[in-house]
Amino acid sequence: MPDGQARGAKRLRIGVDVGGTFTDLAMMDEATGRIAFHKVPSTPADPSLAIETGVREILARNDGAAGQVAFVGHGTTVATNMVIERRGARTAMLTTRGFRDVIEIARQTRPHLYDYDVQRPAPLVPRRRRNEIGERIAAEGTVLRPLDEAEVARAAEAMRADDVTSVAVCFLHAWRDPAHERAAKAVLRRLLPDAYLSVSSEVLPEFREFDRFSTTVLNAFVGPRMATYLDRLLARVRGTGIAAEPYTVHSNGGLMSVATAALAPVRTCLSGPAAGVIGAAVVAAQAGFPDVVTFDAGGTSTDVSVVAGGQATSSSSRDVAGYPVKVPSIGIDVIGAGGGSIAFIDAGGALKVGPRSAGADPGPAAYGRGGMEPTLTDANIVLGRLDQAALLRGAMPVDAEAARRAVRTRIAEPLGLTLEQAALGIIRIAVANMGRAIRGVTTERGYAPERFALFAFGGAGPLHATEVASECAIPVVIIPREPGTMCARGILLADIALDFVRSEIAPLDATTWSRAAALFDGMAAEADAWLAGEGVPADRRATLRAVELRYEGQNFEVRVPLGNALPPLAEVLDAFAAEHARTNGYAIPGREVELVNCRLTAIGKVPRGAPEPPPEGGSVEAARIGARRTFFDRRSGWCDTPVYARERLPVGGRVTGPAIIEEMSSTSLVFPGQWATLDAEGNLIIRHESAAAPRAATREHADA
Amino acid sequence: MPDALPQGRAPRHAADPIAMEVFANRLLAITEEMGNVLVRASFSTNIKERKDCSVGMFDARGRCLAQAAHMPMHLGSLMGSVVTLLERYRLDQMRPGDAFVCNDVFLARGTHQPDINILTPVFVDGRVAFFAVNTGHHSDVGGPNPGSMSQSARTIFEEGLRIPIMRIVRGGELDLDLLEMIAHNSREPAERMLDLRAQVAVNERGAELMQRLVATDGIAAVEGAIEALLAYTQRRLRARIAALPDGEYSGERWMDGDGLPGGEPIVLRAKVVVRGDDLLLDFTGSAAQARGALNIATNALEATCYYAVKALLDPELPANSGLFEAVRIHAPEGTIVNPRFPAATAARAISANRLSGAIFDAFDKVLPANKRMAQSHDSVPALLVSGQRRSGTYVYLETIGGGAGARQGADGAEAVQMHVTNSSNLPAEALEIEYPLLVDEYALVPDSGGAGQWRGGLGIARQISSRVDGSLLTARGEGHVMVAPGLDGGLPGGRALLLIEPGTPNERLLPTATTALPMTSGVGVRMETPGGGGFGDPALRDLQALAADILDGKVSRAAAERDYGAARVAQALAEWRDPT
Repeated sequence: MPDGQARGAKRLRIGVDVGGTFTDLAMMDEATGRIAFHKVPSTPADPSLAIETGVREILARNDGAAGQVAFVGHGTTVATNMVIERRGARTAMLTTRGFRDVIEIARQTRPHLYDYDVQRPAPLVPRRRRNEIGERIAAEGTVLRPLDEAEVARAAEAMRADDVTSVAVCFLHAWRDPAHERAAKAVLRRLLPDAYLSVSSEVLPEFREFDRFSTTVLNAFVGPRMATYLDRLLARVRGTGIAAEPYTVHSNGGLMSVATAALAPVRTCLSGPAAGVIGAAVVAAQAGFPDVVTFDAGGTSTDVSVVAGGQATSSSSRDVAGYPVKVPSIGIDVIGAGGGSIAFIDAGGALKVGPRSAGADPGPAAYGRGGMEPTLTDANIVLGRLDQAALLRGAMPVDAEAARRAVRTRIAEPLGLTLEQAALGIIRIAVANMGRAIRGVTTERGYAPERFALFAFGGAGPLHATEVASECAIPVVIIPREPGTMCARGILLADIALDFVRSEIAPLDATTWSRAAALFDGMAAEADAWLAGEGVPADRRATLRAVELRYEGQNFEVRVPLGNALPPLAEVLDAFAAEHARTNGYAIPGREVELVNCRLTAIGKVPRGAPEPPPEGGSVEAARIGARRTFFDRRSGWCDTPVYARERLPVGGRVTGPAIIEEMSSTSLVFPGQWATLDAEGNLIIRHESAAAPRAATREHADA
Repeated sequence: MPDALPQGRAPRHAADPIAMEVFANRLLAITEEMGNVLVRASFSTNIKERKDCSVGMFDARGRCLAQAAHMPMHLGSLMGSVVTLLERYRLDQMRPGDAFVCNDVFLARGTHQPDINILTPVFVDGRVAFFAVNTGHHSDVGGPNPGSMSQSARTIFEEGLRIPIMRIVRGGELDLDLLEMIAHNSREPAERMLDLRAQVAVNERGAELMQRLVATDGIAAVEGAIEALLAYTQRRLRARIAALPDGEYSGERWMDGDGLPGGEPIVLRAKVVVRGDDLLLDFTGSAAQARGALNIATNALEATCYYAVKALLDPELPANSGLFEAVRIHAPEGTIVNPRFPAATAARAISANRLSGAIFDAFDKVLPANKRMAQSHDSVPALLVSGQRRSGTYVYLETIGGGAGARQGADGAEAVQMHVTNSSNLPAEALEIEYPLLVDEYALVPDSGGAGQWRGGLGIARQISSRVDGSLLTARGEGHVMVAPGLDGGLPGGRALLLIEPGTPNERLLPTATTALPMTSGVGVRMETPGGGGFGDPALRDLQALAADILDGKVSRAAAERDYGAARVAQALAEWRDPT
């Protein structure tokens, strides 16, 4: 292909993950499969500024042009931050008479069993702006009281006088019949033409009013400012000369257009970490590991989730700053343990690590920004596991003496330990905390961690991966390239996707199943229209169906995936029994089964390009860039440990522990008794010396 | 969160604090996994959805090593079953694959009959080293009334099946005869069998995990870490106790009655005695044994004390025998807090919540200002409607929250469960799908929070009507007479209220405990739960907060003018600026 033509072709794909401190970028060249990574400081006042800077820089550094960019996708915490900081719109609510306190009563539980300092957050809409309207629909859809449109109009006038800019419409049983909500919306639209309107039967047409109302209110609260942000983002991307429309990752790991994100911004609340899990699922499956636990350890927290059979597992109940958000989401558990976690001695003389964090400012003692308390990062510096001179390839100088002083004076001396014992203790305790979270996230979903591989990323993930794996009896660790920017890379591996749902609660017999088929047809038509609107060509469109079922008398549902078409009823019932047995340990033959929800996911397949060809030549010895004294465990003590540059390691090369493998965004440790190898995609695979050879082990897994 | 070691004090710590902390995490991972498996594998809504269940790991001497309690009422309540097992059988009479069952308050130190325990010895090197234990609240274990929890039961013989400690699994073989016997003494035998099987399986998983931990670390290291962990927990709690000034501090909380109609209000008294790092909770002076089912048996009393101590002194303290050993408890026999056989105990959650109030009241005299809290609703109001629907009978049962007491610096939480319980509500839409009932209103009760510099939390109004003839209403409550007192000049919270046919000419007040009252189609019942007490002089209330309460309708203008003064109300409304 002539050079000029290649330069003109749209072949570059850019993923951007906006974090609190850094904005990470990954750019893939579809023609060569080559991936480049980049990091710029975030700009919290206007996050789109860092996106623009990062996009310009990654293009410039890699000899790319804006005209070549076919795709830009981004994960953002704009909506989440608005909720945490309570900086959303002045929001009002319309609701059924008698129910304005649903969002305030919540589940009537206290968030902590013993600690009365921990309180439920105040509702995002104060009681004075929650307007009750005369109307009532019963569970079976009967209209018990018609909508009082005049009352809606009076409420709208009051809202106008009160400078309300956003309204949540939340009527009881609107999941069953949205007529009253639609009529109220029409009145509001007429009287408040500029207000943002969030309607529960559109945002989340599922029964259980508190979850639906909470999600709808949160959507209203973030809606107007999210729209402003998305407009600005659009302008900045256009300003770089890129013609492609930017996409946004949503909580389920799919991509959606700016237009869709503006309509349902609540779906973006958990987008960043979701992209990391989607990316992990794809990369791990390519590497021959369909079953992994993802372990994303950063500065203040660690995210863990389960990928089974190549699919991320979803969660139906997540919350944002204490408010339930019931949009389809990837099930991610967050624990307060990261590089910045502070070690301290408690009132009973026990050594504890976290959940308090030194954060980015002042950060660990070693950062020399005034942090005096020892952190997990300081312990790693004391033991030489992290470079004692500088991190991030020299970009961040380290004060190793400050780290030693903090660990010695705050931990080692009070407990009568040596410096090494104290530092090792901090790490062992953090590892035990992280291991407990991994056991929790797997066993809660009915899996045994021993059957999984550990997929480690984030700045601090690779540093602790092998110890955490041992803690959970996980035999293999996988570390992707540039693990610190995995979320940005994940965006390049995501598909365009949106979830649809209909509640239909009835005994699952032939009649119900044919009603369900009609509901699925309706959703499929909506899905097709949406995909067309997102610009997905017909041959790249797909749909996935699932039902949520329960046994008669149960109050919770089990999700049964049905693939891309509806199977016969008997097969559905068998699949339900099997899934109930897997997740709950038993099935109940002969007991009546109820249908609860029908779910459909619209998917627009995004081309992923060719995988990057493995680098040629090189040798393990040539990748060695130095050595340092490192303390792994009490048995081996201080070891002279070779340090390797990850990007110079050859595919298939074998690195025997003890060894340190460094790259721009992270450091990986290979312990004595372990060995690491680089697979064809550039992933680092670490196992115990005693484990089977990699080829055989991969085959075993594929057969399992 | 635990704070740092006090300055200038000689550090006291475990010989190997790191091994201890790592072990503590691994132990918690095991009990958490057992808890996850129990919630996943059980069937009944009460265990699975409301998580009315707990798990624990004990050593061969019966000491609690770790516990995952989803309901504070279960804190320490597993202890009683282990102690009973060790009294009944020697360790060498237990075989691998055995498991035991019990529920009885008097035969097996239970807290009420619906909590059925399963205990499984864990063998290491051929001897019993640990016990994996769990308990689940079974929604019916027989007796004259559905739910086995009638407030007006007079003896334990009216509270369902009595199970002493006995084997339910022998050498790996589940005793199906016994399982069926237990199940068919319940109104829902299928649920009982599924839940009990899950409880047996959970312990087997816990045993396997414990054996794996011992295989990895070695029994000597594990036993060393256990001693260190229990000693640490006790030391940490004793450090908290030592920080309190020595002395005797008394508190009290009143109840409407003792469970049967016609009773007078009764008192629960708690005296906290602090001497150095020693803590005694003495309940002398509390009312005589209740005639109804409000009695708090010994293990329920202990659970209540451990809950209160943990909440007041150290919310993150591990729940193990180290905590239990640092707290001494005294309760005279023959009282509501130490009833004699055959007392009824099923409704002990209500009195345990009031007793928590008494303990909080006693500690109020000794706690730092930021921990002080006015009294809360301290009740477990319950609504039960049963009747016929197309597919047979139905039973709707729900407990409802109320207002929490105000604290120094914060208004009391609105609409929340307190103390020994924390179960969630049933969504109105789920309720209406499931039962022939209509929720007419679900709202905060205006003016139910005690006025004060910080206002008490509001109670809940739940109004429900029947859509069919022949429904039967059973309700119970607390605080219809005895309200939540305020603190430091704060006013008391509002009363509980139970009304039939509310808002119609036929509206009338029902007594605290109402059993099987018929409801025809269209007839409604309204329950209003009590509010929390206020904290501090109402005259000191922030004017913006006062105005917001009035504009939000949480406090009526009339009540505000009465409690805060008409001039301040006028000023507050004039100066109001909406911050949102």
